[in-house]
Amino acid sequence: MEKATYIFIEEFCNHHNIEVSLVHRLVEFEILTIEKKEEKEMIRISELPKLEKMVRLHQELEINPEGLQAIHHLLIQVTNLQDEVKLLRRKLHRFEN
Amino acid sequence: MNFIDYYQVLGLDKSATEKDIKSAYRKLARKHHPDLNPNNTDAEEKFKKINEAHEVLSDPEKRKKYDQYGKDWQHAEEFEKAKSQRRSQPSGGGYREYTYSGGQESDFSDFFESMFGGGGFSRQQGRAKYRGQDFNAELRLNLSEVKETHKRTLTVNGKNIRITIPAGIEDGQTIKIKGYGGEGINGGPKGDLYLTFSILNDTPFKREGANLYKTIEIPLTTAVLGGEIVLETLTGKVKLSVKPGTQNGATVKLRGKGFPLYKKDGFGDLFITYSPKIPVKLTTEQERIFKELEQKGL
Repeated sequence: MEKATYIFIEEFCNHHNIEVSLVHRLVEFEILTIEKKEEKEMIRISELPKLEKMVRLHQELEINPEGLQAIHHLLIQVTNLQDEVKLLRRKLHRFEN
Repeated sequence: MNFIDYYQVLGLDKSATEKDIKSAYRKLARKHHPDLNPNNTDAEEKFKKINEAHEVLSDPEKRKKYDQYGKDWQHAEEFEKAKSQRRSQPSGGGYREYTYSGGQESDFSDFFESMFGGGGFSRQQGRAKYRGQDFNAELRLNLSEVKETHKRTLTVNGKNIRITIPAGIEDGQTIKIKGYGGEGINGGPKGDLYLTFSILNDTPFKREGANLYKTIEIPLTTAVLGGEIVLETLTGKVKLSVKPGTQNGATVKLRGKGFPLYKKDGFGDLFITYSPKIPVKLTTEQERIFKELEQKGL
């Protein structure tokens, strides 16, 4: 079974009722990467959860693109710190035993 | 089923205006939104409650019903039925039936379902989709089991998942298995499963990354005069020659005899530290020889 690897940006924006300019701002802030094929902008499916998360935050919490950029970086840090804490807890547990 | 004070959930009192409700909702939603609180189930639960409170209090009709029946919400249906019966009696017949639809995969509380009939009264359109919760699971393996890449079938929340465990995976390492988390809310995508490996060391080696370490005792005479020893590695026995005059704590490196490198070709190294064994009790003959050695300046 063949799976689509890309989604048209225009299609995504129509579906979510957002301006294409929002996606362009996210690209500008290096949160996302898009590709151009036959004059059409596309996004890899693997990038889709990230884009959807940003759109949710934008629509539900009225966060502007600058705010999304800050959130994006902070969330990466939160996830990394959570992983580190998990690893350190495990190491500590090993020493305690 | 407990009564939920939606005003309290949003930190408001009954006189709150539409603007107050919107503002309180926005403030709390920004704090507890699941996208801003990764791996935090408490925040997700709070966010659901905030959403539910907003769903009711921002809708004038629902708010009216909630305000009217408040803590007696259990009787709301009976009151409504009684009222409708009274209305229908003069016309001589007909019984108005209240059928509530929805509620199949509701993210609302039982209290909400009971009062507003699940999805029956709620706006389906415009309800935000949320990604399902991410699940965390732990897989315990022995170190000897992860020296080779192998497949394994796991059962997580009743689902069988066949995964490949790459050789050399680290203790505490987490891998993401996409789409095996909780169901999405309002048709949102499923969450992911984060699988953390807990590797128990069942080998005589100490592991640091792909390198292995072991301290072995050697006879005093081998340390002094040199000789050969047979050593057990992860992949079998090897013969090792010990140089004459080997000191306590001397370390040798056996290149490529360590643990497999994670997702790479090759192996780490095995470091052997020598610990010459000092005899505790000597026979008369041995003691005589040692004394002779002492006299000869050793």
